[in-house]
Amino acid sequence: MGTNRRDFLKSASLSLTGGVILSKMQLGGFAEAFSFFEPLDITNPLAAYPDREWEKTYRDLWNYDSEFTFLCAPNDTHNCLLKAHVKNDTVVRIAPSYGYGQAEDLYGNKATARWEPRCCQKGLALARRFYGDRRVKHPVIREGFLKWLKDGMPRELDGRVPAMYMQRGKEPFLRLTWEEAFEFSAKALDNIARAYNGKEGSEKLLKQGYDHDMVEAMHEKGVQTLKFRGGMAPLGITRIFGVNRLANSLALLDAKINNVGADKAKAARCWDSYAWHTDLPPGHPMVTGTQTVDWDLSCVEHSNHIIVWGMNWITTKMPESHWLTEARIKGAKVTVIACEYSATANKGDNVLIVRPGVTPALALGFSHVIIRDKKYNADYLKKYTDMPLLVRMDTNEFLRPNEVDASYKLGEISGYIKVVKDGEKAPGGLKQNMPFITQKMRDKWGDFMIYDTVKKTAVPVNRDDYGNNMVKKGFMPALEGKFSIKLADGNTVEVRTVFDMMSEYVMENYDPKTVEELTWAPVKGIEEIAKEIAKNAGKTLFAMGMGPNQFFNNDLKDRAVFFLAALTQNIGRVGGNVGSYAGNYRGAYMSGLPTYIIEDPFNIQLEENKPATLKKYFSYESAHFFNNSDRPLRMGKTNMTGSTHMPTPTKSVLVSNGNSLLANNKGHYEAVVNAYPKVEFITCLEWWWTGTCEYSDIVFPVDSWGEFKHPDATISVTNPFLYIYPRTPLKRIFDTKADIEILAGLCDAFGDLTGDNRFKDYFKFVGENRVDVYLQRIIDNSQATKGYKFADLEEKAKKGIPALLMTRTTPKFVGYEQDKEDKQWYTKSGRLEFYRDEIEFRDSGENMVVHREPIDSTFYEPNVIVGKPHAAIKPKSPQDYGVSIDNLSGDVRQSRHVVKSWADLKKTQHPLTAANKDFKFIFHTPKYRHGAHTTPIDTDIVAVWFGPFGDMHRHDKRNPYISELYVDINPKDAKELGVEDGDYVWIDADPEDRPYRGWQKDKNSEEYKLARLLCRARYYPGTPRGITRMWHNAYGATYGSVKATEENANGLAKNKFTNYQAMFRRGSHQSCTRAWLKPTLLTDSLIRKNNFGQGIDKGFEIDVHGATGAPRESFVKIEFAEKGGLDGKGLWEAAKKKIRPTYESEDFLNYIKGGFVKKA
Amino acid sequence: MAKVKNWHLKREMEYPYEENRPNKQIAYIFDTNKCIACQTCTVACKTTWTAGKGQETMFWNNVETKPYGSYPMRWDVNLLKEMPNQIWDKKTGVYKGKTIFEDKPNGELAKGWRPEERDYAFPNIGEDECSGTVDKGAFFNGIHDVWMFYLARICNHCTYPGCVAACPRKAIYKRPEDGIVLIDQSRCRGYKECVKACPYKKTFYNMITRVSEKCIGCYPLIEKGEQPRCVQTCIGKIRMQGFLSKPGEEREDNPIDYLVRIKKVALPLYPQYGTEPNVYYIPPVHVPKEFLNQMFGPGVDEAITNYKNAKNDPKSLASFLMFGNTPKIVHSVKAEDDFAVGYNEKKEVIVKVPFTEPIFVRSFEDTQLGTFRHNTP
Repeated sequence: MGTNRRDFLKSASLSLTGGVILSKMQLGGFAEAFSFFEPLDITNPLAAYPDREWEKTYRDLWNYDSEFTFLCAPNDTHNCLLKAHVKNDTVVRIAPSYGYGQAEDLYGNKATARWEPRCCQKGLALARRFYGDRRVKHPVIREGFLKWLKDGMPRELDGRVPAMYMQRGKEPFLRLTWEEAFEFSAKALDNIARAYNGKEGSEKLLKQGYDHDMVEAMHEKGVQTLKFRGGMAPLGITRIFGVNRLANSLALLDAKINNVGADKAKAARCWDSYAWHTDLPPGHPMVTGTQTVDWDLSCVEHSNHIIVWGMNWITTKMPESHWLTEARIKGAKVTVIACEYSATANKGDNVLIVRPGVTPALALGFSHVIIRDKKYNADYLKKYTDMPLLVRMDTNEFLRPNEVDASYKLGEISGYIKVVKDGEKAPGGLKQNMPFITQKMRDKWGDFMIYDTVKKTAVPVNRDDYGNNMVKKGFMPALEGKFSIKLADGNTVEVRTVFDMMSEYVMENYDPKTVEELTWAPVKGIEEIAKEIAKNAGKTLFAMGMGPNQFFNNDLKDRAVFFLAALTQNIGRVGGNVGSYAGNYRGAYMSGLPTYIIEDPFNIQLEENKPATLKKYFSYESAHFFNNSDRPLRMGKTNMTGSTHMPTPTKSVLVSNGNSLLANNKGHYEAVVNAYPKVEFITCLEWWWTGTCEYSDIVFPVDSWGEFKHPDATISVTNPFLYIYPRTPLKRIFDTKADIEILAGLCDAFGDLTGDNRFKDYFKFVGENRVDVYLQRIIDNSQATKGYKFADLEEKAKKGIPALLMTRTTPKFVGYEQDKEDKQWYTKSGRLEFYRDEIEFRDSGENMVVHREPIDSTFYEPNVIVGKPHAAIKPKSPQDYGVSIDNLSGDVRQSRHVVKSWADLKKTQHPLTAANKDFKFIFHTPKYRHGAHTTPIDTDIVAVWFGPFGDMHRHDKRNPYISELYVDINPKDAKELGVEDGDYVWIDADPEDRPYRGWQKDKNSEEYKLARLLCRARYYPGTPRGITRMWHNAYGATYGSVKATEENANGLAKNKFTNYQAMFRRGSHQSCTRAWLKPTLLTDSLIRKNNFGQGIDKGFEIDVHGATGAPRESFVKIEFAEKGGLDGKGLWEAAKKKIRPTYESEDFLNYIKGGFVKKA
Repeated sequence: MAKVKNWHLKREMEYPYEENRPNKQIAYIFDTNKCIACQTCTVACKTTWTAGKGQETMFWNNVETKPYGSYPMRWDVNLLKEMPNQIWDKKTGVYKGKTIFEDKPNGELAKGWRPEERDYAFPNIGEDECSGTVDKGAFFNGIHDVWMFYLARICNHCTYPGCVAACPRKAIYKRPEDGIVLIDQSRCRGYKECVKACPYKKTFYNMITRVSEKCIGCYPLIEKGEQPRCVQTCIGKIRMQGFLSKPGEEREDNPIDYLVRIKKVALPLYPQYGTEPNVYYIPPVHVPKEFLNQMFGPGVDEAITNYKNAKNDPKSLASFLMFGNTPKIVHSVKAEDDFAVGYNEKKEVIVKVPFTEPIFVRSFEDTQLGTFRHNTP
């Protein structure tokens, strides 16, 4: 490509007219080589330049030998097919594939090029990670764990492993062969399962202090103490969901241990993902029966008003941001609601800054304006919601037809539901064309009553009386009103419609003035945004983010936002809907997954094209109980944990594809200090040495995305594509294997250990390099992919082209069928349900949609239900559980139901403030643009952009890395604390349980040094006073990294044994969080669709109904630690330069005002 | 000193060399209303061109948050405060102040200042920081009471580059075929005069090679008809690269000409310095006009009005819908029915997108394949 001599001469002579006079010497060989000896005479460098040979340098730098495609899919919902540029067998550069515009489906529907380009800074930096020094390069084992194995796995009398073997995080790791790694792992798991098996095993666990109900939930099966988690499993439908398959295989182990057959065998336990990450919006199933209502983000193309609410869209949905900004160009209004002037705020036409954790109150405030101004759609509410249903005021339960007429018989229902009679089989797999329930369940559900305005009496309605069908039947329900109803038993009861009660609550408690005080949202903003919502009925999209979801009142937030959306008919429409955006979760799009996950290990299908036999032996549970130091939720002596939710004790943990469970978990140091030592074996599969590896006993090294030798597939909940991870030609850089090969290897090792060859057959197709057999089985059995051929999909993926997922619509959006086709929701009434009359909700005072204060992140008394006395709010009080009303401890707070009006609540204080006035800051930990969780943030060229302290040269040796995490604080607050911009501060949350229980015993301990959060403070003008923020994404301090900061001459927080690199000197953003369990998420009664398929059931369901935690909640004190200047002296150098908020020089202030330039 | 015509200033100005516009002038449009500060452009550039030793703190491309962000630190304030009487004529839009070539100290070719090494530390200082403190709840609409926005920056491949003017070795030149400004890596001796003179601080001194270097406009890609790396990887789809016609030769179907010269929605960065920079910015609609006038010159009101009105102008909309849809250079754009169509230099269609994304509704039952299609799986 370079200019050769002849071209050069030609261009030189042509450009003579441009004024270049060539030096003759320049043309000579000698002179060319030593051109700097001879001055050039260039008259005009704008016109021509003599010797441009050198330009070849950059062309050479650009040129590459070959390229290949791989899929980058951290848990960020985007999934980008990227092109790697390869030079000398090394990936040198990464680019977007520009293949999305060619994506199509089986029917010929095509995506547009507007989906291009797809990539981000983290993905483009991956080449540096493929070859990085934190790759797990071969299998390793913790020294002490190897000793335990070598010593014959000794135990104390109560079963405990002696403490000398359990020094996790403090020891070096030793290399293992692959065979050893598999064998040792299988032996350890087998040993644990046997140790805790049977009656004896249960007794040991009780002696160790585990909750009786948890031990009981094991049914004396030792395998039930083994916990497995494939993190964000939809991201790898074979390699990550394969962890569940591995768990299912352990039924064979149980059969061996207990000498039972397939009928009595049980397998291990699997943990949740979407709910564990607090990504599940738990109120969605309460209102709609479905896991989550959401929509592909390109739906904004069809909307007039987009409310981005507690969602930092432009930093967490980066490749989808253009839909928002382009909708705006095309005339849509964008409203941003956040608890600071967020990154997304700069894309807002309306920006509303509010107090964190008050979303239910704000939604009720908007609803107040809409109800007050009569802007709601009464017709819609009557047809599609439970608003006209009658509730008895004596019991607060729904009025049932048989209570009025004893002879009332339940009729058949058939509107978009199949009632499966006893003895009948439920529709399976591809044939599922509507939700189905058992006859028993239908009988239990019963029917409902409305007040008919034509007949002027209460009449029964059943599930079929929905939408236009109800109108056809001639029902004209009253939306409002109190009625006296004579019951069959002769008594008369007062009944009210749900709307009547809700509107009373909203009108009495959430007028704009009150809401302004409570939420900090100015009245003007409340009024204007509410008007905009009403004006765009059916055309307003609510994009709800992770922010509001990570507070304890998250289910109420969902219920309140749906209430607001229902008032204005903004549900289930392409341009008017509710969506929740946190995490990638919907494995259910691959509805054929059970064919893989729960293949019966006793009866394995070894032929390629034949269907697998399915049987589920493992059980799911929420990891939040493990996160709660392996305890259920109790209030006094009452177990508040529904039996369907009950966890078992955790004695081993295997985790793949995720750092969140063990190293980026809420209350991380409580787990490190108090929970992990009780777990006997921790193993993980990783390609990058994470904090999880730091606390593991055996670490299996896996291929990076660039090195996949086995294909895989995934989907996304924010875009319409079906993705294949294609196999890549890049040679493995280290001694790694595919995740799925490791699962197969473990299974094989169990085969060797037990002599049961079925273990070896279970992942047979992996060994034959035919993972595609499993993939094709899943594709063939999934309603959204049926018809695709895996081989075709992979060929296209290799060219950077995904396929379109064949859901009902593209873009996909939940509620299409319910809105457009009058199909019922997945609820008892078939309607959108706002009133929950189940006992758990009534006991919690949450049968109506109410606002509760955050459980920790509030300046007032925590978790209080806000409202004046209301006939429907009658929760159980603490005294009802035998707990003092004055007990505000964290554990008690979770089930503490106290009702106060705003007028009373505002006079209260957070209990920490009452005890120590220095506790006065809300501290929240959102996600941000420079990390997909912890995924790429320690890559140098990404890290240096992470925040204001990124410094490639690490001038200040206190920096744990070339960048470090910091707390954002309002400058005025910082000044009051005597903290300058860039100073280091200590941050402490509730001393009762953070950073871990028992820290007070020894403040000089290694543990406390590890766990207490130390970081820089940044003056951040966009956050209101009292509100502080730290990004969620960074690697926390570990024992090894803390030691390194003291021992390394350069101060780098890099574990010398493992190369683990922390972004903190001490502690992490999880030093201030803890586990929180909410009673209304632990019910056995909530009706909801199953995770996979159209079946409806009740109680716990993995990632649909279960604990979610509240990781955004913490209330802290902040104190000065060290000066920010070099060597801990004086001001941080940037503040010294007078360009920082509140440090500005006069010229800088003039600059902000635009004062240097005038029009005159 | 020659007298050259600077259309940004609407007047002639002094420059060390005669006016000589290249055959084609590389130009970019950056829409600040779309920029998300993800730094994908930055990393794309870094991993392609500046991954070597001596380039650790060097970012040819960077994105900074205004007002508190600046890389290198204070790059714009330092020069703004040195330039006297920066006045635009209210009526005519003519620049009445002096440029860096006109207000230079004795013996120098352009006015400037040279950053110190530590000025390149903390490249993302000021990220997301807004112009004033938010002390409690707030509501803004229209122009925000406190504000910030993202400014993506590369070399402006100026028509009258400060670096070219200042280089004592004449080792910096402008390519006649595309207007890209290059520092000859074999001739540069690292005097750092260009570092001092570039008002945008987009020439960098490499302490290992001991020569200066800068954004090369990704000419190895341009030569193949492809847009630069920072443009191809821009997921905010804020960027379009093309060629700006010479004044008076504008084409309506050239999206760069149309948006820059005809609709005037995209404006130069600090045009008052006189370099005639060729990265054109659509100003942020929510920021006070005083700041924007200081940064983008006197055309801000018109630009924002026309930007807000783009929804009613199919030609503007078609041009906006070209951003980021293709790695190829778009030479012309047409609005054809409900589609925006982009063409290459040979008038071949390279990209075609609908104005509004389609909605596909699949039939509920696929009898042939024996399945049902759900939106709630």
